Amino acid sequence: MSNYLLAWIVLIPFVSSVILGISYLYSIKVKKISNKFFTFLALLAPMSSFVLGVGFFFGLKNGVSEYLYEPYTWLGVDNYIINMGFLGDKLSIFMVLFITFIGSMIHIYAAGYMKEDEGYGKFFAYFNLFVASMLLLVLANSPLIMFIGWEGVGLCSYLLIGFYFSEPLNVVAGNKAFIANRVGDFGFLVGILFLFVYVGKLGFSYGALEEYVGIVPNHILVIIGVSLFIGAMGKSAQIPLYVWLPDAMAGPTPVSALIHAATMVTAGVYMVARFHFIYDLIPSVGVFIAYIGAFSALYAAIIAMRQTDIKKILAYSTISQLGYMFIAVGLGAYSSGLFHVFTHAFFKALLFMGAGAIIIALHHEQNIFKMGGLRKRLPLIYIVMLVANLAISGIPPFAGFFSKDEILLKAYEHQEYLIYGIGLFTAALTSYYMFRFFFVTFEGKNYISKNLEPISASMKIPLVILAIGATFSGFVGLPEVFGGTNMIHQWLSNWSVDSTHVENFKEIVLMGISVAAGLIGIAVAYVKFFKYDFNQDIKESGIIYNKFYIDELIDFLIIRRVRQISVFVSVVVDDGIIDKTVMLLSSGFINLGRRVGRMQSANTRAYAFFMLIGLSSFSLYLIFKLG
Amino acid sequence: MHIGLLTFIIFLPLVMAFILMVLPISMKLTRNIAFLTTIVVFLLSLSIFLRFRLTDYMQFREFHPWISTYGIYYSLGVDGFSMIILMLITTLIPVGYLFLWKTRKSKGYWASMLLMQTGVTGALLSLDLILFYFFWESMLLPVFMIIGIYGSGNRIFSTLKITIYTIMGSLFMLVSILYLGVQFYNEFGVWSFQLSDLVQITIMSPTQQTLLFFGFIIAFAIKIPLFPFHTWLMQTYSNSPTGGVFILSSIMAKLGIYGIVRFVLPLFPHQYVEFAPYFMWLGVFGLIYFGVAALMQQNIKRMFAYSSASHLSLITAGIFSLNIYGMTGAAFLIAAHAMATGGLFLLVGTIEHDLGIRSISGLGGIAKKAPLLTVAFALMILSIVGLPGTNGFVSEFLIVLGLFKYNNFIGIVSATTVLVAASFMFWMFQRAILVKTDNNISKMKDLDKKEIIGIFGLAVVIIAMGLYPHWFLYKIEPTLQHYLVDILKVGVSS
Repeated sequence: MSNYLLAWIVLIPFVSSVILGISYLYSIKVKKISNKFFTFLALLAPMSSFVLGVGFFFGLKNGVSEYLYEPYTWLGVDNYIINMGFLGDKLSIFMVLFITFIGSMIHIYAAGYMKEDEGYGKFFAYFNLFVASMLLLVLANSPLIMFIGWEGVGLCSYLLIGFYFSEPLNVVAGNKAFIANRVGDFGFLVGILFLFVYVGKLGFSYGALEEYVGIVPNHILVIIGVSLFIGAMGKSAQIPLYVWLPDAMAGPTPVSALIHAATMVTAGVYMVARFHFIYDLIPSVGVFIAYIGAFSALYAAIIAMRQTDIKKILAYSTISQLGYMFIAVGLGAYSSGLFHVFTHAFFKALLFMGAGAIIIALHHEQNIFKMGGLRKRLPLIYIVMLVANLAISGIPPFAGFFSKDEILLKAYEHQEYLIYGIGLFTAALTSYYMFRFFFVTFEGKNYISKNLEPISASMKIPLVILAIGATFSGFVGLPEVFGGTNMIHQWLSNWSVDSTHVENFKEIVLMGISVAAGLIGIAVAYVKFFKYDFNQDIKESGIIYNKFYIDELIDFLIIRRVRQISVFVSVVVDDGIIDKTVMLLSSGFINLGRRVGRMQSANTRAYAFFMLIGLSSFSLYLIFKLG
Repeated sequence: MHIGLLTFIIFLPLVMAFILMVLPISMKLTRNIAFLTTIVVFLLSLSIFLRFRLTDYMQFREFHPWISTYGIYYSLGVDGFSMIILMLITTLIPVGYLFLWKTRKSKGYWASMLLMQTGVTGALLSLDLILFYFFWESMLLPVFMIIGIYGSGNRIFSTLKITIYTIMGSLFMLVSILYLGVQFYNEFGVWSFQLSDLVQITIMSPTQQTLLFFGFIIAFAIKIPLFPFHTWLMQTYSNSPTGGVFILSSIMAKLGIYGIVRFVLPLFPHQYVEFAPYFMWLGVFGLIYFGVAALMQQNIKRMFAYSSASHLSLITAGIFSLNIYGMTGAAFLIAAHAMATGGLFLLVGTIEHDLGIRSISGLGGIAKKAPLLTVAFALMILSIVGLPGTNGFVSEFLIVLGLFKYNNFIGIVSATTVLVAASFMFWMFQRAILVKTDNNISKMKDLDKKEIIGIFGLAVVIIAMGLYPHWFLYKIEPTLQHYLVDILKVGVSS
């Protein structure tokens, strides 16, 4: 594979997005373009990038250590030189593969999901812009170029959340996502700048940074590590910047699947892994990250237990699963975290797409308590959702089992028993709230009697493919205790740290415990919800249902205060004090002019005249006194 | 007598304005010829950009005696810093014409626009302080006419206010210029107001220098505007017609910054370095202060006025950062901000043209009626909020880096720039453009062909400057290095 093809992995979706966007505008302004054109152009992009990604994958597999392509100097001031650079190493190509694969699946799905929508072309323009930005984020060879992708995905997220922008709530949710992410980006930028100031002169590619990071004093490194992680908190929806993700569900469901579950939100995890050479030097920050992850996992799982909106449940579960990933990368087990990124992409995309199919079938009903008995009506969806639920609940042999169990094991090995305990407890909660949703939707005493909207083939096929993925993708990271080789660790060997391994017997016992936790959760959900009667009232209140009133608190403590300050500044300080003072001074001139010149009214000439006098005397003073 | 390229750039619009006013031709023909004139000027300055050499810093010099008795010369030149401003002025003005095309029905308006162009390019390229002062004052007259005659609301009062403010500031500068001339005469026995001569004065005490430093600074601070000299801006912007506010925000405000760098920096290098920290803090304070004030504004133009003031404060912090990063970033942000703000004001102008003057709450739902306008509007906002991939990001990044170089703390505070503009811009976009309301916006029309060419041309430049900033920047750098190393003597990365 030629190096320059790396750039095309990003460029193809970007060009596709631009053409789609222009065609869409042409289509609504001048002459209608058929959806087939949009579909063709839209699907071509992620698939082509996937093919290129596969090419690079085999190149790396056959011994190329990394691909590097630097077409031009992006910015060069003094001796700070930043190249527009693309780096294809094992980590970035790993990310490219699953992003483009899952992306292609969701594109196919979206072609069915959005087919009636008048914004069809626009949707795919945004979608491919997102894919391009995400690929730039992972392929960039320097933190600053990464930041272009980093904010690009944020922009696309904003655009797609507010896709139906005539509705205020959607746009508000989009704004919230953008601002919350910007708070994170503030941290990210500060981190980059500190890095830049301390090592930028020696080069700002990851390679150069890794080489010279040692010259940064340790306390600055801690600031850098924490600042960069603040960026990850925003993008990957961790405490306290998670607030935007549940609201982001206002976007169309394929968006939730691609951006807010499978890819964009994992950018934070990728970032920490990418900067492992920093975090390796500051393990205390790593432990902090792991704790934030653990608490986010637990907190989101608790909220998910009481939600009634199918997409909100999944959103909180995403926050929770991202928490697991941060436990892993925080403890230095980068490849374990990335493994969970990988399996999670499959089952979470599947969950969202399945949920989308249900929502479409039920004519845009999202409340799980208004569903029921869908097993017989939607058998295919039932099967794929069962697979996905078992996967997220960590039941072997489904994908989530391997990756989640590995994270818990790592926590145990690092002797972070509190994190391990939280993770284990959260695993039980996870299977509980997931099967609560599953039983209420598919089983229950009641059956939805109304006509269901048919689900098109282009939505069904990706579901089946992803269900296969959610079943088997865990095997690429088969624990060595089962006699296989862990291909993930092998592939990402630069990102996996050997820690003290527990002995095999203990590992099996720990596995048993985490499976048991998952089963307990399922059992409780079964007892409470398998025969659920949806005619009984659902309690839609309480502190958990209301998400601990955090949104209200933010509104009260921050948003309202800022608005008050704004009014104070512009009305009281600006208009009241500063402008008044200035006008008073000039009316002083007017009065002076009236008295001295006996003029009837003030006009511009009068002002100028009197100022001229004043200033002339001032200048005379200057000339004679000082000169 | 040799007449150079810069003279053509400055005086072609003026000559055309007189010809067009004298000839008995229609408004339309006047407008079309005026537009062609701006295109010619654009091509002339493009040729300057392409022929600009990296080795030299002041180029395309022109030098003729004007009022020899007092040593006043017609002296012109362009360096890397003024070149980027020249490029942006000559690029933006034709775009402005394309937007004003349908709105104004008088010959005088188009003549005023041409006069204004002569004023601003003249001020930009003058190297003699009296010549500069002459252009500096004359560029305001057409703007007064545009606001006073075509403005809205309390426009007479606004005109008066801007007049008082800026003339007052300018008079301080005039006094300072004359004083410098006298000093030069005292020391060397001849009169001169050439910048290259006045910098050689050695006989002034630090107190004198400091007083004169502030004499200049006040004039420029009012024009920029810096806190607390800003209150004229909000009123003037909200009452100005599109053309007026477009020129004020995207061009004249930048000349305030330019003036500081061109004249204050070489004339008073010690004071410049000495007071730099205060101006950095004033800049960062203004960034946040104006940003906060912008949040709750009900009038879009007033909001943009605060937004402009906020960014210009950041630019000011950049030029006082005393290192190459902050300076380069400031130069780049001058261009980036001029394009984005100029574009936004033009777009708001078309909304006003179709719907009349309304507050933000009186708009809404425009996106459905005018998708192209919405796309353009969004692109401009993205540059203002500094999204990577636009020129706004590159410039803000460099300025913040420059401030970081000076001091970590001020760097961190200034990095809040990523939050400041985003907080009000997106909220405004939501209410004014996106969300459907009950307001009647049936008269809203989408952009016409000329407007599309103008605004999307601008958008392409904004993105090109974001994706390949180096191509636009490398010609500025030697000039800025010269300022830092040879004049301020602080080195490129202190």
